[in-house]
Amino acid sequence: MGCPGTSFSLDHVSVDLGSTRAIDSVTLEIQRGEAVAFVGPSGAGKSTLLGLLNASVRATEGTVRLDGRPIPDLSRSELKAARACIGFIHQDLHLVPGLRVVQNVIAGRFGRMSFASSLRGMLLPRREMVAEVFAILQRVGIPQKIFEPVERLSGGQKQRVAIARALFQDPGALLADEPVSSVDPARARDTVALLRELSREKGLTLCMSLHNLDLAREFFPRLVGLRKGRIAFDSPTDALTPEMFQSLYSLAPEEMLDA
Amino acid sequence: MRDLPPRPLLGKRTAVLVAIAVAALLAAWFLGLFESGTLPGSGGLSVAANFFSRALTPALTYETAPPPGTRPLLLKALIAAVDTAVFAASAMSIAIPAGLLLGILASSVWWVPDPGGHASPLARLLARSLFPFLWSTTRLFIGFVRSIHELLWAVLFLAAFGLGSFAAVLAIAIPYSGILAKVFSEMIDEAPRGPGRALQASGAGTAQAFLFGYLPRALPDMSAYAFYRFECALRSSAILGFFGFPTLGYFIAASFENLHYGEVWTYLYTLFLLIAAADWWSGALRRDFAA
Repeated sequence: MGCPGTSFSLDHVSVDLGSTRAIDSVTLEIQRGEAVAFVGPSGAGKSTLLGLLNASVRATEGTVRLDGRPIPDLSRSELKAARACIGFIHQDLHLVPGLRVVQNVIAGRFGRMSFASSLRGMLLPRREMVAEVFAILQRVGIPQKIFEPVERLSGGQKQRVAIARALFQDPGALLADEPVSSVDPARARDTVALLRELSREKGLTLCMSLHNLDLAREFFPRLVGLRKGRIAFDSPTDALTPEMFQSLYSLAPEEMLDA
Repeated sequence: MRDLPPRPLLGKRTAVLVAIAVAALLAAWFLGLFESGTLPGSGGLSVAANFFSRALTPALTYETAPPPGTRPLLLKALIAAVDTAVFAASAMSIAIPAGLLLGILASSVWWVPDPGGHASPLARLLARSLFPFLWSTTRLFIGFVRSIHELLWAVLFLAAFGLGSFAAVLAIAIPYSGILAKVFSEMIDEAPRGPGRALQASGAGTAQAFLFGYLPRALPDMSAYAFYRFECALRSSAILGFFGFPTLGYFIAASFENLHYGEVWTYLYTLFLLIAAADWWSGALRRDFAA
């Protein structure tokens, strides 16, 4: 029981984090099945924007809609169901230490499991479920690690586990926050390629924040440039001009230290 | 050089350390620890000499003939050690579940509302008023049971229940529940929040996120600490013998009163072996868990 591809829409959304305005009146439409990269300097609001999309950050002003429905209108169980349909690959991965790979991957589907079945999944998962986890781990390239404790994996392998967890969730959209910030360039390219391929295969909406402009241009048909919480440009990749990028990264002197 | 910001003379930490050292000196002076009166008199010295001279020659049989039918000394010490362990284990079998439950309720993570959730007004009201109340009530309760030592609880329960085993077990279990709860709650709160939040962000409920997001990280530390408290419970259980419970303390006190110092050392070494065995056992289990 998968999810239909998810669409997102932001209508003049702002987010205040403490006294700073992290997102400033952003309006954005992302269609079901689309692939969008968010680019921009550190602190531009890319992570906050992704947090809005999976309802882990609350909009201070404006409305975020998931599949056309404003998040504040969702009941508790509807919100839970909506979140279960959005896979998120965190910058810090946030795997659960002390659990094995198979348990971490199964935890991705908690949103659709009762407490009893999640308890069973952690302690004594059914054969079919383990087989399903194994198939996904094969897809991301680390099937032999299925019963390893996650602490024993390398950085790249942990990232594969995080991707597998999001896939096991069987989502309608994948969100990834700087998935390549902690791996070497060759692996970075592989990871972005893999996420793009997987989402195309399953018809998932894919939103990814990226520092690396070359990767963003190579793999995404649409780029959204963010600067200081505002949208600097939102354009098909073919139509991008060098000036657009310059506007994003040319720093005023007082910004140099913060970047 | 003119731009160099002024360097604080005494950092806050240094100041606290200096204050503690001064307080220690004042306390020693107040208690008269610098005066010659703290040295034992000649009578006390000879008792001490007699006592410590038996350290290397603990008794293997009774120092004066016991009434007929008395168990041999070493068997008696062994039975006392087993009884000591039984009291400690019964107390821990109450203290660990109680400490776990109270520890979870006393952790801040348990009560943290979902950051992105759009809770109903009623839920928000509960989160603002009832949750902090329950949290601080739990912490107050834990602080209370913990601040009363097991010996004091024993005095209370002896008065209430008499010299039954239940009094000794409860006397240990109550303060230990409080201590375990406090340390468990801190261990739970120290676990990184990211994994639990990530599970909630993908639709997991509070209980699922708590049990499988925070607890797995805290569990090894919590079980190691529970084992350490079991060792403490062995000592407490031995000491409760002074009140007449059949643990090692009872026999230590009896032999001491009869000036049978060799027997005292026999019981002391038995206690030492008991605690060493518990330590070895917990070490072996921890190695198994880690592997």
